[in-house]
Amino acid sequence: MAPVVLWRLATSIYPFVYTAYLSFFDNSPVRRTFKFIGFDNYIAMTKDQNVNDTLAFTLYFTVVSVSLQVVLGLAIAQLLNQRFRFRNLARAVNLLPWAMSAIVIGTAARWIFDPDFGLVNDLIWRISGARPLWLVDPSRARLAVTLTDVWKNTAFLAVIFISGLQGIPLELYEAAKMDGADGIRSYWYITLPLLMPLIISMAIFIAIYRVLSFEIVYALTSGGPGSATALMSYLVYLQGFRVLNFGYASALAMGLFFIVLVVGLLGFGLLRRAWERL
Amino acid sequence: MTTLIRQPINRRWIMRTARAIPFYLALLVFLTVVLLPIYYIFLTAFAPGDKIFTKPLSYLPRSLAILDRYQQIFAALPIARYLLNTTYLATVSTIIALVISFLGAYAIARLQFPGANLVLIGLLASSMLPGATTVIPLFQMFQKLKLMNTLAGLLLLYTSGLLPVTTWVLVSFLKQVPPEIEDAAKVDGAGFIPLLLYVVLPVIRPGMATMFVINFIVGWNEFFTPLIFARGPGAKVITMALSEAQVIGSSTQFYQSWGNMSAVAILATVPVFIITLVFQRQIVEGITSGVFK
Repeated sequence: MAPVVLWRLATSIYPFVYTAYLSFFDNSPVRRTFKFIGFDNYIAMTKDQNVNDTLAFTLYFTVVSVSLQVVLGLAIAQLLNQRFRFRNLARAVNLLPWAMSAIVIGTAARWIFDPDFGLVNDLIWRISGARPLWLVDPSRARLAVTLTDVWKNTAFLAVIFISGLQGIPLELYEAAKMDGADGIRSYWYITLPLLMPLIISMAIFIAIYRVLSFEIVYALTSGGPGSATALMSYLVYLQGFRVLNFGYASALAMGLFFIVLVVGLLGFGLLRRAWERL
Repeated sequence: MTTLIRQPINRRWIMRTARAIPFYLALLVFLTVVLLPIYYIFLTAFAPGDKIFTKPLSYLPRSLAILDRYQQIFAALPIARYLLNTTYLATVSTIIALVISFLGAYAIARLQFPGANLVLIGLLASSMLPGATTVIPLFQMFQKLKLMNTLAGLLLLYTSGLLPVTTWVLVSFLKQVPPEIEDAAKVDGAGFIPLLLYVVLPVIRPGMATMFVINFIVGWNEFFTPLIFARGPGAKVITMALSEAQVIGSSTQFYQSWGNMSAVAILATVPVFIITLVFQRQIVEGITSGVFK
């Protein structure tokens, strides 16, 4: 066991603690500074417009993406849990976006959302005759990032929900049928309540990973236009490795950690309530 | 006589088909949404530069321009080296992570030391530490230790990223196996290492196989870590070639650039697609066993 723990201590726990330490310093390899400045980095954060934009987009991205993933994940699970020929093939197809690299998807999405020759606008144009500009308009860029994320990650949730559906005893449905419940009613009164703890715990889990996302934003929008689609990890990357402002980047990273912590704790509380009600 | 029997069956068949229509429609929509964007990238890579531009798009493949693209890309970038690095990093980090996680998981699941569960939860919690909160000290550490732009340095971080989930999943596999099997071997006087190798390992081989496949895919797809820690061709990986291919040669022209990007995207994606199609069962088992303990 020791190797696992030591490995993680050296590459994860120790660097994390050191980041917390650095966040109180003015540290830049370019300006060759290493000066203790107390909470100045954190104070600067509260005045940084990029941070405000980022927090707003993080909230939007997490809420919209998680909601869409849960709803679509449930629908796909229901679909792929039916008996039909080539079901295994359809389930394998479902996994393809999960298996692809996020950076490949993000980069390809920039082409797919191209206003003139991208796939999305071709389809929209065929239906409505319009060719909306996606990545230069803040609200559409937000939507594009979110949809790309949903496209990649819903598969993971669907796989877990399929497994959850299979854990529900069939007798329950048979009993409901005898009582005259139709498919929709038995879904609403049996399937959903029984899946609820799983749905909530997975929603927390993927919400945390949404807050941490980096690749799709990096490749698809570079956080733009302006900082309309920037996420915290991306700001840390910009400050840390483009501007080379290690101290400020560390404070941003700690801000990110704090958000993750809050999401995790809120989610955990929600989960406990759901268990109690069951 | 025959018509009498057939008619009700026919009617029932029609009813069943009618009821199945919404299902197949939904399935069709689902498959289209997943596959069309992937198909579009293939289409872009195969089309000659000037033919990417059509309004409306033509959805039929038109040429084998992808071969010229690859010729151009392989001439301008050390793509073969990138692929080799990617394969090496994904494979070796997977193997190291499996060996170390196996030992760790065995200790946590079997040796009833105090705080075993705490260690496991700590491991999992540490995997939720944002990469951004560790990257700056690691960067400074790597510069001091001369690990920048080295495969060894990347291996260290790739493996680290795999350890928590791998350990977690292997523990859940181990807990499904009754410890009595091992007790019997212990009574027969088997030493600790033979016990691990010949008794425990065969029992959780499905878990190991599952995590091998998933970890390989994770390692293959890695981008953030090499972006920060690999700046020279010696340690660069295939996911980094996407943007590099967009700016080579005449590809500063818009259309060439997207064709090249798509061609590299195919190189980076086809291997994981094949793995996914072949090992679908293992992947699903791995994903779910991490969640349902």
